[in-house]
Amino acid sequence: MNIGYQFETLQKDEITHTQIVRYAGASGDFNPIHTVVPFAQKAGMDDVIAHGLMVMGFIGQAIGDWVPVKDLAKFGVRFKAITKPGEKINVTGSILDETEDRWICEAKASNEIGEVKVQAKFEVRKK
Amino acid sequence: MNDVASNLERLKSIKLESYTYTIEKAKIRELAIAIGDQRDSYINGEALPPTFAAVVEYWGGQSSASALLGLDVARVLHGEQEYEYLGEMNPGDEITVNAIIEDVYSKAAMTFIVMKKEFINQHNELVLISRATIIEKH
Repeated sequence: MNIGYQFETLQKDEITHTQIVRYAGASGDFNPIHTVVPFAQKAGMDDVIAHGLMVMGFIGQAIGDWVPVKDLAKFGVRFKAITKPGEKINVTGSILDETEDRWICEAKASNEIGEVKVQAKFEVRKK
Repeated sequence: MNDVASNLERLKSIKLESYTYTIEKAKIRELAIAIGDQRDSYINGEALPPTFAAVVEYWGGQSSASALLGLDVARVLHGEQEYEYLGEMNPGDEITVNAIIEDVYSKAAMTFIVMKKEFINQHNELVLISRATIIEKH
């Protein structure tokens, strides 16, 4: 671990309607904008949108690949763009800075054409 | 007072009810499968994915932020989410969530509401702080 270190990119499978429905049930967020296509169409969209928290979960998965989750001190995200079924998300990350007892890191979840969906900052306790 | 100002005052005065949620292994596994993050410790329900707090908030609270805050769901966005991990959470733990409206402000024809939730375990230890920024377009 050192400042500037780039973590290995996590490549997620294509998001499906079924995955979004599973996430709705798992998380308990049943807002129909995520699960009911006619509702989304009435709201002026062509399809449902994935839960932002699910995409945050993808970043959480990458963090778990990169560092021990029990050392995670803080994990914050900004939701930048909506994500739809059919999109494939990649999660990249790097170490930005350090303090005496923490690594300060960033991560991004983007689709295949590089549109950033969720931007994250996280802090990891040093041993 | 104009509509925006009176809405801000209304939001600031909202009191949110506490609730308690018991962490179940099956819910840990269910979340891990939904995300596609199927490491053994999650599938066995022994460790929690970093975003498990969402399960506690939605299944424990049983109401969306929009409903609690009296917002129009069609104009509401989840702008930001942050978790601070202060202690361990394990299956079987009984987590009580105390929520407050920490900040409300208006900017660029949008209302920003910051909800802070403290997760307290059965030993009265503060184990996690969740902060959500909810945005309502005017």
